Amino acid sequence: RSGSKHATTPADNYYLARRRTLQVVVSSLLTEAGFESAEKAAVETLTEMLQSYISEIGRSAKSYCEHTARTQPTLSDIVVTLVEMGFNVELLPAYAKRSQRMVITAPPVTNQPVTPKALTAGQNKPHPSHIPGHFPEFPDPHTYIKTPTYREPVSDYQVLREKAASQRRDVERALTRFMAKTGETQSLFKDDVSTFPLIAARPFTVPYLTALLPSELEMQQMEETDSSEQDEQTDTENLPLHMGTDDSGAEKENASVLQQNSSLSGSRNGEENVIDNPYLRPVKKPKIRRKK
Amino acid sequence: GAMSNGVYMPPSAANGDVKPVLSSTPLVDFLLQLEDYTPTIPDAVTGYYLNRAGFEASDPRIIRLISLAAQKFISDIANDALQHCKMKGTASGSSRNKSKDKKYTLTMEDLTPALAEYGINVKKPHYFS
Repeated sequence: RSGSKHATTPADNYYLARRRTLQVVVSSLLTEAGFESAEKAAVETLTEMLQSYISEIGRSAKSYCEHTARTQPTLSDIVVTLVEMGFNVELLPAYAKRSQRMVITAPPVTNQPVTPKALTAGQNKPHPSHIPGHFPEFPDPHTYIKTPTYREPVSDYQVLREKAASQRRDVERALTRFMAKTGETQSLFKDDVSTFPLIAARPFTVPYLTALLPSELEMQQMEETDSSEQDEQTDTENLPLHMGTDDSGAEKENASVLQQNSSLSGSRNGEENVIDNPYLRPVKKPKIRRKK
Repeated sequence: GAMSNGVYMPPSAANGDVKPVLSSTPLVDFLLQLEDYTPTIPDAVTGYYLNRAGFEASDPRIIRLISLAAQKFISDIANDALQHCKMKGTASGSSRNKSKDKKYTLTMEDLTPALAEYGINVKKPHYFS
């Protein structure tokens, strides 16, 4: 504690400064009494006694005060305390008048950390009324910045399928409306043309021709799968290869079916689709036997 | 008997041994005088130790009173030690015409008996040489 090399906290500094002041006071009192010098141990003893004397007066005065159901100690409490400690109160004024000589300045230890002006950012929040003034200030306002984190997106299968289905429906509607607006339209209603426009069908001159001839893609597929045997011959999807329907989604469905054929042809041989939905299975074409 | 401040003090009152009978709160007038008197111990230091004991002073003069009392306490002990020191000096048979030299050093040997009168026993350990 006295001159050691340990790192001192601000509280320790606070304590040490006052302790040193007490030592100085004791030294001045000894000088007043007539001593020129003193042993260190003696000065330490007297300092310790002085500190504990003051503390004891404080504790005892507080106890007397609380004993009478008060919180603020008064002069009477202190007098009673001094009397109880064996102190002759009468002699105090005489002593005060006698020794009016030495005054020591208070210790100037201030260890409160002050953030330099360059580091403060913005105005600190002022204290609300219920907080006493000697409490430390609120921190800088950037302390209270919050970044909200978003919830994890829902990965429930059912919800996802519903979302996918509704998105697909919206896309189909938008696309067909777009085509109706930009291309030719037919209408079911005689008078009202614009409410439910249908994409106009383009009739072929020979309508059954496309039904008879295989398309280019189908020619390719037939050549690929000609060598393999097909067990199932289920034709699960009705393939409208011609455009002669009123169904507004027919065109798109056709395109999507053709795409399915080309993409799933490779997987037809021995591979099973994970989803066993009859509408999602690959198209099974009737086997065409070529006579060699 | 001796009357001071309107309080009766029995003539046999020794230095701090007998508690005087108080008929009125003493020191009230003295407290008023304390406003311009600064005791040796700074108010901040005394206030610090009082706060540690739980004593929150409403009046700064109270703090000065307490610091004066503490000062007096130490002064009395120092004076008693000085008496002891002087007694030892003159009792060892030094020459009469030359007064005891003015340099008094407070040692533990003087302090211990002075404190013993107050009922405080100090025993310092002998340091190994």
